[in-house]
Amino acid sequence: MSGLRLALPAGALFEDACRLLATAGVAEVEPARLDRQLRIVQGDTVVVRVRPTDVPVYVEMGACDAGIVGKDVLWESSRDCYELVDLGFGACRMVLAALEGSPLAAGSWPQPLRAATKYPVSARRFFDRLGVAAELIRLHGSVELAPAMGLADAVVDITATGQTLRANHLVEVAEAGRSTARLIVNQASLKTRGDAVNLLAASLRRAVPTPGPGPEPLSA
Amino acid sequence: MCALQTPARGRAGGFTDWVGPAAACRRRVADAFLDTFSAWGYEYLATPLVEPLETVAAGVGGGRQADLFRFMDADGRLLALVGERTVSVARVVATQLRTRSFPLRLCYSGPVLFNRPPLGGRRRETMQAGCELVGHGGLEADAECLAVAAAALEAAGITGVQIDVGHADFVPSLLAAAHLDADSRSRVARALRHRDLVAVETALEGTEAGAAERALLLAFPTLRGGRELLDSAGARLSEGCRRSLDELARLWDLLDTHGITDRVHLDLGAVRDWDYYTGPTFELFSAELGFPLGSGGRYDRLLASFGLDAPATGFVLHVDRCCDALQRSSGPVAPAPVLRILYARGRAAEAMAVAVELRRRGLRVALDLTPAEESAFEPGVRAAWVDAAGVLSWHWPGHSGSGLDGLVAAIPLLRGGQP
Repeated sequence: MSGLRLALPAGALFEDACRLLATAGVAEVEPARLDRQLRIVQGDTVVVRVRPTDVPVYVEMGACDAGIVGKDVLWESSRDCYELVDLGFGACRMVLAALEGSPLAAGSWPQPLRAATKYPVSARRFFDRLGVAAELIRLHGSVELAPAMGLADAVVDITATGQTLRANHLVEVAEAGRSTARLIVNQASLKTRGDAVNLLAASLRRAVPTPGPGPEPLSA
Repeated sequence: MCALQTPARGRAGGFTDWVGPAAACRRRVADAFLDTFSAWGYEYLATPLVEPLETVAAGVGGGRQADLFRFMDADGRLLALVGERTVSVARVVATQLRTRSFPLRLCYSGPVLFNRPPLGGRRRETMQAGCELVGHGGLEADAECLAVAAAALEAAGITGVQIDVGHADFVPSLLAAAHLDADSRSRVARALRHRDLVAVETALEGTEAGAAERALLLAFPTLRGGRELLDSAGARLSEGCRRSLDELARLWDLLDTHGITDRVHLDLGAVRDWDYYTGPTFELFSAELGFPLGSGGRYDRLLASFGLDAPATGFVLHVDRCCDALQRSSGPVAPAPVLRILYARGRAAEAMAVAVELRRRGLRVALDLTPAEESAFEPGVRAAWVDAAGVLSWHWPGHSGSGLDGLVAAIPLLRGGQP
C-alpha cells in the first residue's frame, strides 16, 4: 500500500504491532513468519523485525522510513526521529521501587540514594526532576535482584502488571513515566514520502482501539 | 633518550579515510559546489578549524554544545573545534569586512566536527560548503540563496532534489495567537523542538487554544504543499500568523522567476531553531537519503551579537551526505581515467613533451619513470608508446592510432568517463 520500509520491535510489542498493521490495512504480516525471516516484502512495502532499541537506529539513519517502538525505548535513545502517533498498546510504566519494609518504602529517602537500572538516561532525568542526588548502577538484566542483595537501595524499572516487582518483594515508591507504543518516522521520509507517511499515520490512528494513557511526565 | 613510539594502525572511531572513487567523488562534489558559488559571485574565504568555545556554541545551538570537541589552550582559554562555519564567517564580516559595501556574498568549505559517540553510524568529521549573503534584508536575498543551493546540487549531478521552505516566525506566531497559557505554550514549543507530535497533542489537550491555530498545530506534518497551501492555511488565521505566510507567498513568486518552484514545497510544519533563524528557512532532501543534504535560512540577529547590525541569510550543503546520495543513485562514480605513457630508452624527452601537451588539453597522464621494452605496451589498455624512432602510438579501449594529432583529436572520446 505504502512503498514504505517499516521497522517492528521484537519482544513484548511484536505481535500487537503486527496485528495493528493488519487492522490498519498497511500490511498482512504473520508474526511467526516475520520472526523467522526478519524481513517481509509485501507489494512495495517492506517490514523488518529488529531489537526494540534498534528501531530508532534504523529509522534515524533512513534504513527504514518509519517504525513502531515503545516510548520507554525513545526515552533512552538519543536518536532524532519524528514521533507521530501514540498507538496505545504496550502500556507499561517506569517506576522507582524499593524493598518492602525498607526506609525508602516508608517514604524516607536515603541521601545519596543508590538505584540499579537498565534505563540510565530515563532514571537520571527522573532523579534530576525530583532534585534527588542518586547514584545509578547500570545493570543489563534481573534488576529486581539488586536491592535484595544489597547492591542498591532501589530499582528504576519498567513494569506492566507489577507481578515481577511483587515476586521480588519490591513496592513502588514513585512513578517515573508512562509508556505506550509510538509511530516514529525518519525526518527526510516525512518530507520526501510525505503522502505515504501521513496516510500510514492516519491509518494507524484510526486502527488504534483506545486513546493512550495520557501525559508522560518524563517526556516533558 | 625517548624511543620512537609505534603509531596506531586504526583510526579514531567515527572518523573516515576517503580513498578510491569515494575520495574522488567527495572532491568533485566539493569542487562543483565551490565553482557554482564562485559563478554566482560569491567570494571564497577560509576560517579556522578552532574558535573560542563561546563562538562555536553560538553557532550550533543549545542542544548540541555538549557534542563539541572542547579543549583548553596553554593560556587556559576554552576552545572548540568548529561544529559549523556560519558563525565564523559572521565574525569575519563583523570585524575585517565591516567597512566593505553591502551586500556581501561569501562562501566557504571545510570540515566540521562533533564529539558524538562512535558506532552510532554518524560521522564525527564531515565536510560542509556554504554561502552567506550579508547586508540585504529582502526576500530577494533568500530566493537567491535557495537558487544557488539548487544550482550547486545540480552542478554536482545530484538529481531529484526536494526543497522544503518554511518560516521561522510561523510556529512562534501560531503559539502566540493560540490563547495558550505560558506553561502550555512552552510545553508545545519544547515538544515541537523534539519532533514529538504526540506530546504536542498531549500538551494541547484540555487547553482552550484557538480552534484554527490548534487544528494547524495538530496537523503539523501534513502542512506541506505548493502556493495554494498558504491560502488554505492562512484563511482562518490571525494577522500575526499571516505575516509569515505573506512572506512565503512573495518568496514563492521570486523562486518562480528563478525557475525552481518545480522542486520546492512549502512546509509550514518545518521545525527549526527559532532562536537562531528569523525569516524563511529551508532544507534540501533527496529521496535516496534519510538526512537533509543541506539547510539554510535567514538569521538577522547573529551579526548583532558581534556588534554589527546587519541582516543575513545563507545555507550549508553537507558534502559527505551529497556523496552518499550520489553513490546510492548512480553507484560509485569512477574518477576520470589516466593515460600511461611508456617510452623506449633515449626517448624520455619526447615522451615528456607528449605528456605536457596532453595534460595541457585536460587529459590525465602518468609518464613511466623508467624506459620500457615495446613488449610492455599491450593493446586495449589506456597507454601510449614512444618507440626507439620517437614515433607515438596509442591504445584506448575502443580506440587506437598513432601520432600526437590523432591522440589529441581523440581526447574528447577518451575523457568520456569524466563529467
